[in-house]
Amino acid sequence: MKLPKLPVYGPSLWGLGGSLLLLGGVAPWIPVFPLIILVNLLIFAALAYSLNLITGLTGYVNFGHVVFMAVGAYSLGYSVETLRWHPLGGVALGALTALVVSLGIGAVTLRFRGVYFAIASLVTPLAGLNIVLVLPALDDGQGIVLNPAFEPLSWFYTIWIIIAAEVGLTYWITHGRLGYGIRAIKSDEDAAKSLGVNAPHLKLFLFALSGLFAGAAGGVYAWTTSGVFPYAAFDLTFSLLMLAMIVIGGMGTLLGPMIGAVIVNLLSRFFLAIFIGTQFIIIGLVVIVIALFIPEGIVGTLRKYVPELRRILE
Amino acid sequence: MSPTLEASGIHKYFGGVKAVQGVSLTLGGGRIVGLIGPNGSGKSTLLNVLAGVEKPTKGTVTVDGRRVDRWPAHRMVGLGIAKTHQIPKPFLAMTGRENVAVAMMYGRRREAEPAAALEESLRILALVGLEGRADTPASNLSVQQRKRLEFARALATGASLLLLDEIFAGLSPEELRDAISLFTRVQKELGFGALVVEHVMQAVMTLSDHVVVIEEGRKIAEGSPKEVVENPAVIEAYLGTEATDAAP
Amino acid sequence: MLRLDGIHAGYDGTQVLRDVTLTAEEGAMTVLIGPNGAGKSTTLKVVNGLVRPTRGHVVFRGDDITRMPAHARPDKGIAACPEGRRLFPLLTTEGNLRLGAYTKRARSSADETLAYVYELFPRLRERARVKAGRLSGGEQQMVGIGRALMSKPSILVLDEPSLGLAPKLVSEIFVKIRKLREAGLTVLMVEQNAYAALRIADFGYVMQNGHVVKSGPPAELLDLEDLRKTYFAIP
Repeated sequence: MKLPKLPVYGPSLWGLGGSLLLLGGVAPWIPVFPLIILVNLLIFAALAYSLNLITGLTGYVNFGHVVFMAVGAYSLGYSVETLRWHPLGGVALGALTALVVSLGIGAVTLRFRGVYFAIASLVTPLAGLNIVLVLPALDDGQGIVLNPAFEPLSWFYTIWIIIAAEVGLTYWITHGRLGYGIRAIKSDEDAAKSLGVNAPHLKLFLFALSGLFAGAAGGVYAWTTSGVFPYAAFDLTFSLLMLAMIVIGGMGTLLGPMIGAVIVNLLSRFFLAIFIGTQFIIIGLVVIVIALFIPEGIVGTLRKYVPELRRILE
Repeated sequence: MSPTLEASGIHKYFGGVKAVQGVSLTLGGGRIVGLIGPNGSGKSTLLNVLAGVEKPTKGTVTVDGRRVDRWPAHRMVGLGIAKTHQIPKPFLAMTGRENVAVAMMYGRRREAEPAAALEESLRILALVGLEGRADTPASNLSVQQRKRLEFARALATGASLLLLDEIFAGLSPEELRDAISLFTRVQKELGFGALVVEHVMQAVMTLSDHVVVIEEGRKIAEGSPKEVVENPAVIEAYLGTEATDAAP
Repeated sequence: MLRLDGIHAGYDGTQVLRDVTLTAEEGAMTVLIGPNGAGKSTTLKVVNGLVRPTRGHVVFRGDDITRMPAHARPDKGIAACPEGRRLFPLLTTEGNLRLGAYTKRARSSADETLAYVYELFPRLRERARVKAGRLSGGEQQMVGIGRALMSKPSILVLDEPSLGLAPKLVSEIFVKIRKLREAGLTVLMVEQNAYAALRIADFGYVMQNGHVVKSGPPAELLDLEDLRKTYFAIP
């Protein structure tokens, strides 16, 4: 009996997927402290992958991405604290609410191009913050304090599933027909439309997905930090951090967000220990250097200048 | 089959500027219609309205009886109507083949498999003489080659009615001759209809079955190429009035 | 006074001018006519320094100014009135005019020149305090020419002054332009309105496809059949 031919997936996908599987396999044996760090790193990565879906792929720079994370965090906070749900339910709710919010925001802001979109997106976290501050259901912005059980392994597997989904989805989107439509939009949106690419739909689709995953990751984040506070949740610098991750790693690539997340996370930890705030200076400098000298990011630049790696690295 | 596009009483205003004022015309059936007029007469604006890039301020556009004046450009492609740009807009980071493949995947044919689209693209590129550059990034193509790529992409959408915005502009006399014969050859083979907006008279006069002349947003004449260039109103529009008395 | 020698020029890889050679004699009105896309405006842009030719020379009063930047040319004596006028809409008529006397050379005699411009175009004196954006097309064209005159040019370069103007206004403006020529000013003018232009010209060039195809005194060029054939590419 002949086995059906396995579809050929790229080495990057195998590499990433394999590493994730490995990680998932050994997780129960990882000591608590490194596990927590790992979880934090994976949350960063999940957020980077979600932003990659819109900004990395289409070039629409979303400064307001933190909004989805905040929505996810608040959904988890509300559902666990007030509705007494299990945190997993909270994460799912976070994803769903963020999805709805992203559809609403995207329907309006995606009509703008370039700088105007970026500015419009900048406004959304501010709006979100002010709405939350006056909602009675959320204690008028007092914040939500949770008392969940300390379950790093659950946190791990939840974010693990989210990342796996994101990686798989990113691969699938970029390799099929959609990948061409997206690249066309990124290259020249008007020309793309004149060839039949339904740019408004495609952009909204990606924007919604980015919101969905950022919401889920935000929910997990709230779960791990046992609390949601308005000014922290809607912090614009977090958006910038996420942008830094994909710029450093390589926008629109499969490995970029992970690499970027690792670098940013490590830099954050290291410099945070030296003096709070310095991590932003350092990360900012790194981004400037990248933008000036290797704008395609680490993965993008390697692909550009080392042709042999193009088949492997994506 | 080639759709019939009917534009009726098209007006397009940009604030106080009346770019198009009450133009009607019919396209379709494999006919080549030339659209000419002096500088600033509104030709490109009219073409953009027909392509769905702009919405008319007044008037209707119908395709086979169906009203499409509010339709966006990508939807018009589904009806078999595609436009090219005055200044070619290739996807610079993609190869010639990939550029055409996008058109195959999102045009009328909606090819679902990128591999199949990339394969088929070679055939279209060969039609316009670009098969040798199929795997070069579009950024490395000359202006003339980019124009051909633009043409190939429009063809690849499966369009049977092409709206061509000054595709013969900026060519040397030899390049122009080649471009005209290429167009004739391809049109004969594929049988599409077209609206050719042009300044380059050689091209319009040689290729058009019918010519429409626009001045200051209004249609001032139409007919066969020969009729149109003998029409006093057209001559006046281009050359100025004999009666203009500027004697000191 | 001004000579273009074997000029090849274009934009972004598209070649527009192919071996253009022409001369604008001192004290004469030279016009450049031809169909759209022939390269008339591009030729003027080469004269004004907005387009750098890839081959050939621009010689003004014996000096090779091919590589001279655009902003240095008014001081040399080349004044331009661009296509569509390009006035500063928020400035008044007088504001626009005075701005024409930007160079040091012109600034010292600005009041004098302004008086001359108002004498040439009395209507502008009436509308001196009106914001340029509110002027009629004809008035704007007058301001455009006036502004160029304020720099005390040796040669006035006009790009399609009849654009957007009603025929009666066109005659009016052209009468004034002719007056300037009679006062001794050298004029180089591009026009789509071939007839109106040839009627006030001393010498004309016909362009087609980036090349000069015919030249001569207006009488020789004012052949309707010939012009028709050039404009409509009838073989």
